Amino acid sequence: MIALGQQIENKFLEAVNKKSGSNILECYQCGKCVSTCPVSSFMDFPPREIMQMVKLGLKEETYMANSMWFCLTCAACSSRCPREIDIPRVMEAIRHLAIEENVDPDNPKVKAIRKFHEIFLDMIKRYGRNYELRMMAEFNIRTRNLFKDMHLAPKALLKGKIPLGHEKVQRAKAIQRMFKMAEKLEKIK
Amino acid sequence: MARVGVFVCFCGANIADFVDVPAVTEEAKKIKEVKYAIEYKYMCSDPGQQMIRDAIVQHRLTSVVVAACSPRMHEKTFRKALSDAGMNPYLLEVANIREHSSWVHQKDKKAATEKASDLIRMAVAKSIANEQLHEISVPVTKRALVIGGGIAGIQAALDIADARIPVVLVEKSPSIGGRMAQLDETFPTLDCSQCILTPKMVDVASHPFIELLPYSEVMELDGYVGNYKAKIKRKASYVNFDTCTGCGACWQKCPVKVPNEFNMGIDKRKAIYSPFPQAVPNKPVIDAEHCTMLLKGKCGICAKVCEKGSIDYTMQDEIVEREIGAVVVATGYDLWDPSPYEEYGVGRYKDIITSLEFERMVSANGPTGGVPVRPSDGKVPKRVVFIKCVGSRDEAKGIEYCSKICCMYTAKHAILLHHKVHDSHAYIFYMDIRAAGKGYEEFVKRAQVETGATYLRGRVSKIYKKGENLMVRGEDAQLGQVVEVEADLVVLATAIYPYKDNPDLARLLGISYDKYGYLSEAHPKLRPVETAKAGIYLAGCTQAPKDIPDTVAQASAAAAKVCGLFAGDTLKKDPMISTVNTEFCTGCQNCVTVCPYQAIVTEEIPLGHGSKEMRIVAKVNEGVCQGCGSCVAICRSMAIDLAGFTDMQIINEIVSI
Repeated sequence: MIALGQQIENKFLEAVNKKSGSNILECYQCGKCVSTCPVSSFMDFPPREIMQMVKLGLKEETYMANSMWFCLTCAACSSRCPREIDIPRVMEAIRHLAIEENVDPDNPKVKAIRKFHEIFLDMIKRYGRNYELRMMAEFNIRTRNLFKDMHLAPKALLKGKIPLGHEKVQRAKAIQRMFKMAEKLEKIK
Repeated sequence: MARVGVFVCFCGANIADFVDVPAVTEEAKKIKEVKYAIEYKYMCSDPGQQMIRDAIVQHRLTSVVVAACSPRMHEKTFRKALSDAGMNPYLLEVANIREHSSWVHQKDKKAATEKASDLIRMAVAKSIANEQLHEISVPVTKRALVIGGGIAGIQAALDIADARIPVVLVEKSPSIGGRMAQLDETFPTLDCSQCILTPKMVDVASHPFIELLPYSEVMELDGYVGNYKAKIKRKASYVNFDTCTGCGACWQKCPVKVPNEFNMGIDKRKAIYSPFPQAVPNKPVIDAEHCTMLLKGKCGICAKVCEKGSIDYTMQDEIVEREIGAVVVATGYDLWDPSPYEEYGVGRYKDIITSLEFERMVSANGPTGGVPVRPSDGKVPKRVVFIKCVGSRDEAKGIEYCSKICCMYTAKHAILLHHKVHDSHAYIFYMDIRAAGKGYEEFVKRAQVETGATYLRGRVSKIYKKGENLMVRGEDAQLGQVVEVEADLVVLATAIYPYKDNPDLARLLGISYDKYGYLSEAHPKLRPVETAKAGIYLAGCTQAPKDIPDTVAQASAAAAKVCGLFAGDTLKKDPMISTVNTEFCTGCQNCVTVCPYQAIVTEEIPLGHGSKEMRIVAKVNEGVCQGCGSCVAICRSMAIDLAGFTDMQIINEIVSI
């Protein structure tokens, strides 16, 4: 059961609005985002419900959802939203807030996917682009599930979907500088 | 010898697809009296009408049968065609082969064709007995009676009076203004209700063509369209309005306190009172039910303090009569009593109020000076739950219909709450948000986005007390979870309901009402302001729930109808009315009882030629009779006949098939 009325201020809504640049109060719960989203069926709370949860100030419940981690930021939802809410940015804002507030990072529901995001960013930072083989290996090691999806490896290798070596972008250093700059900016905030 | 012309219409494909029109025409030609028969694609079109006009002249027709759509659609068109050709228009008969045959027998073309032929045969037989009839002229009294002095009555009265037609405006309470005077601000523009209403009220009071009768009620209405006679009771006010200056000394000194109806009983008024500061007329009246002087003969303070000596305890109710030609009924609405909702704790918990009580509280001239307070402890509420559809759309405990305005005024209340109490929050439980109207959706968005009211889709299941607060439990259907809101105050958007005495008024006026008590319009779409009784019109919530723009629009429409009615010096009406053959009339008066329009009266005539003894017979009032035929059916001695539908015509029809 959701308990409302304990406090009048909705700080969570304010934080999400500030970070995302959208006003979630605009959402009138039509559900167009849900039917547009290619991954909404994998989310435990589809985007519309996330909006409502933010509106009601249900911070903990929102952080525990896997929705914002599943969001592909493909922006199909926002391109169709009749209230012009930038939903991917809202999802991103919630992700950031969840990390900032470090709410239960070991929650089994989101642990793996948060690891995935971390490793992915790590790959970009190092090589300037994704290095699939290493990423898969690292993901399997860090989630302690060594043989996950192993049966797909031979076929994928044969089709050339997983290059064995890694390719750096020409100016990987520049990308690393960008990461550093971003980290610095985050700290200033 | 009768010479009948038959004109069969294809009505595009409407008739032709399911009725073999040429075959029907051939069949018609076989009837002995039919001298001419023809079919055409659209009989109502100009060439179609020309065919009728030409045939009347060429074939010297004595009556015309048009086999087409319902006479409700084009009877007038074809009558006009007849009179253009120099023929009496009432020699027309319409055989309805569309609504009565092609549309309802779409699965069987053969049967539909046969039925169409039968209908034409009947119409031909009837038309042979048609007589030349002439429109009836009725004199008209150009004065209108408006019942109810709310915004609907005010608007109708002003519009009629502006057309220089005298108006008698009757209001049962001491002041005009009605419900709108009780409102604080109005959606969707948040205009101050008083600011836009009071100029109109002042206009009414000062208009040379309006006679304002406050504190009065209509007791009787006799007569018929254009010639009504109304008896109006002017309730004793015990105050001489001619000398009273409205200074207020009397009500300041009056020791008797009574719950204030204008403020929904939140505070008290005195036994001598004027309902609100901007009242029109701004004269007090004495509430005879509570005044100790009138009840027990003790007190008399008001008379002592009145410098003008305007108080008169001996005043009696007075009946005045007015001759009028048309009536606009605008008696407004009441609130539905929410007490069946026991799960909400209505009556048990003080901090559950109705929207009109909330409205009075946030109103600047209200009992709390414009700040909402909790009735239990007088604290200013921070968390207010609004529950919509209390009574509305609930067949089990309330009524089936939607009250139409609650979505909007609840959005308004959320905004007003935020204006009056800045650190407050509104929670609104709703079923649907119905915001159809100019600027309405935008207004709801304003409540949601700017004010930040929390809209929760679901009906509240229960309210219980926790400490001094109320716990409101309902579902948030958007999340599929139960929510419980801790609230300081709960506001119920109770349904609009007609006044309890609406049916009495309807009977008094001779008009119909629905199962709730709303007065019925003549046609829900095409005659929304007329009643079934000629010359009586409706405006505002007495007909159905409405917001202010709709009410004002309907009031102006009713006024336009009145002005239209009074445009000529006489009223024209169809001659299809019943007449009594006094030779056969036995005076049983069954017709008087059965007549839905009270058109039949009795008169005394000599028993025989030159006799001094008298006997009672029925007499039809031409102006009132609507030609329904009920009296014809009930008359045992067949003394009543209905012009245009005489016994002869009906018998001819029956015999023909």
